[in-house]
Amino acid sequence: MAALVKNEKKLHLKKRIAHTGRNILLNKEKYFLILPGVVWYAIFAYIPLFGLSLAFKKFIAKDGIFGSPWVGMVNFENVFADPAFAQSILTTLRINAGRLVFVFPFPIFFALLFNEVRIGRFKKVLQSVFTFPHFLSWVIVASIMINILGQQGLVNSFLKLVFGIQPIKFLGTPSYFQPLVYITDIWKSAGWSAIIYMAAIAGIDIEQYEAAEIDGASRLQRMWYITLPGIKSTIVVLFILAVGYLMSGGFEQIFNLSNAATWKVAETLDMYIYRITFRGSVDFSFSAAVSLFRSVINLVLLLAADRISKRIGGSGLLA
Amino acid sequence: MKSVKRVICLLLAVLLVAVFTACNKEVDTKPTATPEPTQSTSVEETPTPGPTEENKYAERVTITYACPQVRAGFDYTNGDDYAKMLSEKFNYEFKTTNLPWNEWHSLLSTWIMAQNMPDVIIYNYGEGTHADAVNFVQQGLIRRLPDDWKEKWPGVADVYAKTTLGPKLEEMFGGTYFIPRARFYYNLLGEPLANHWSAWVRWDWIQAVGKEKKNNYSIPELMEIARLIKEKDPDGLGDRLAPMSFTTNNAARFFLEANSTYWNTFYKGADGKYAWGAAHERTLEGLKLWYQAFTEGILDPEFYLLEYEQDMEKFQTLGEAGISYLGGQTADIERYRIDFSTRTGLPQEAFGMATLLGTDGYYHQRDLINYWGAIAFSPKADEKVVERWLDVMEWACSEDGYPSTSMGIKGVDWDRDANGNLVSLVPEGVLLSGDVGEGKYPSLGHVLGSVILWDDLQFDNPNITPSYRDESKALYQNRYDLSTPETFTKVDWKVWMNGTENMRRARGIAYDTEFANMVTTAKSEEDLVQIYEKWLQDQMAIIQPVLDELNQ
Repeated sequence: MAALVKNEKKLHLKKRIAHTGRNILLNKEKYFLILPGVVWYAIFAYIPLFGLSLAFKKFIAKDGIFGSPWVGMVNFENVFADPAFAQSILTTLRINAGRLVFVFPFPIFFALLFNEVRIGRFKKVLQSVFTFPHFLSWVIVASIMINILGQQGLVNSFLKLVFGIQPIKFLGTPSYFQPLVYITDIWKSAGWSAIIYMAAIAGIDIEQYEAAEIDGASRLQRMWYITLPGIKSTIVVLFILAVGYLMSGGFEQIFNLSNAATWKVAETLDMYIYRITFRGSVDFSFSAAVSLFRSVINLVLLLAADRISKRIGGSGLLA
Repeated sequence: MKSVKRVICLLLAVLLVAVFTACNKEVDTKPTATPEPTQSTSVEETPTPGPTEENKYAERVTITYACPQVRAGFDYTNGDDYAKMLSEKFNYEFKTTNLPWNEWHSLLSTWIMAQNMPDVIIYNYGEGTHADAVNFVQQGLIRRLPDDWKEKWPGVADVYAKTTLGPKLEEMFGGTYFIPRARFYYNLLGEPLANHWSAWVRWDWIQAVGKEKKNNYSIPELMEIARLIKEKDPDGLGDRLAPMSFTTNNAARFFLEANSTYWNTFYKGADGKYAWGAAHERTLEGLKLWYQAFTEGILDPEFYLLEYEQDMEKFQTLGEAGISYLGGQTADIERYRIDFSTRTGLPQEAFGMATLLGTDGYYHQRDLINYWGAIAFSPKADEKVVERWLDVMEWACSEDGYPSTSMGIKGVDWDRDANGNLVSLVPEGVLLSGDVGEGKYPSLGHVLGSVILWDDLQFDNPNITPSYRDESKALYQNRYDLSTPETFTKVDWKVWMNGTENMRRARGIAYDTEFANMVTTAKSEEDLVQIYEKWLQDQMAIIQPVLDELNQ
């Protein structure tokens, strides 16, 4: 009997594989489209996972990652002994929590705004204008910021000319650093990120709007009662993903916008890893230990956000 | 459906492992990353026609090389007559990679660790990178030169013996892995060796504010001059005027290093015990001066935004800075002045250099050690490539080669008179070294085989105005005259060569950035002291283990 069941399962499996194969052949164009993504993830996300074992080893280049000797938790002991490490965690959390509050809503706001623009050409122009900064590198953005906010920049020159105010050190005052990060982040990425929400808005049944309009709903009411609930699941998913990045992200931005004057409030975990890896003596094991710690915390945060979201009745990221 | 998913997952996992294994296997046989230099590491089998020395160089070799002094994109094989002369003489193809200054160590380390370094590199050898060098040598990632190399290349060996570091490393490693490039050979100034770093000052402004023109100033003296420059604004520059302009790093050197010999390292105190220089009272004193300069507005208000050499630009190109703190070696002293004059339209005499003294009136410095950058070879480099480059190095140490590295081609650009003295054949106004279109030989400099750096010949180089040479000699000399063995100290090899894990972590402290941050964030001088003391306490988790090790 057991053998019969086993055979049946095998047969079932074969059929499934054959079916999947046919399915792939039938939709080969679509599968071909996702191939670059799969390869990218394999090369840059999965294969490097093996390198995390360095966190528990003393890296000997000659022996490679696998041949290097195990040292237990020594690297982690060293990490936790460094006062700059704890400080960098706090800085990372502070900056990224602020991002969730101040930066995260902007793409939603932009998407809602774009959706309400009725003149097609104007809408396209607006979208292009807001999307363009996404393609600028942070090096260029930082240079632009120096020209705008520097001691002899546009803003200070204007303030001096009009109000006779002495130059303000926008780029050298630690308390201005976080707002600067958020403003530049919004300017650079909100237009681009809005595309995802606009795609979600495009999926909302148009009849809902027509019915609401007949019922006398104003544009604001339609936005509030139809559009927003329509993209709620997208917002939740992106929010959970953003929580998963609480301990990382934004290295290029912080690296280019920070300087010696703002360094204390700018040394995020990524910056710390960079400093430890390349500025002092090269220590890949130490850096791997910090990276692993960061990834574990990120995973925990992501799972927690997902669970909380489901608990409060919203949708989640994981099945 | 679940089974299908499982099968797909399994297949993907197998695929990933296969890809990974393939990649991993490749690591063992050939480099993974593909920086330009290693791709070209080869010995070409086809001999090319051209002059050879007794068929020694009949086989043409390709040599890959990386160093920050390489001019990016320039053809160092045939790009100019000097490069051509050497490549034909030694029959090689020279492929270079320019390393950005701020990524010098990180890029080389990554390549070395990946066992993918070019044939020849200039390693950024220093107190902070020594531990990595030890690590690389222990792992066999740097080529050990044959034990008889000194007999084969005696000229290089002679220079090597004068670098202090070379023999020290040899003693430690039990063989030669690095050949430090000597700053001085014929004109060695003494031990400890003085640095050429000098205060750049505007003589015309100093005179305009009624101050004396000297070849040495203390930090407070220069601050006083800066105050007067700010007040009188001699050239009417208004907001653009920066009485003192330094990058963060140079500001730390000006206010801290020039006042406190051990500001960023460890030293043996009078009691025979090791202490941390950052906690020394003279470091705090320098920090307070830095804070004063910042709050009084005599220091560039946004000095922390200045990138590498932007302070130089303000002084030399824009003519907006009164005082900077930059390199001042004899080799460059004339060039800097010509550039200054051309770019600002001011006379060369307006550009002055002076030795910087601490508040105690003494010159402060730790031994520069007679080298800068060390030549190292890849373990994978072909033996012929290594030998060929050592031959080029040997030539660069010879009677003809040594002047050529600075003065160009013998018989064309320079020669010797009946007494054996150097004579320049370069017409006035011709610049020998410089960028493409600017200098006659862009390849001239520290790249092509140079083992004795430019610093040495410049005291005798007839291409440099004699008064500038004398000025430079005087600057070097007053550093010896205006110092004591306690302020201008010999190298402490116990600290310098310490490569323990604790020391490596301690060297990760970015002192200049830390101190600059204190200066810019303090609300008052008392606040500055509090921030400084708290910082000292915070760092003890890293510093104390090092002190314990040193004092054992």
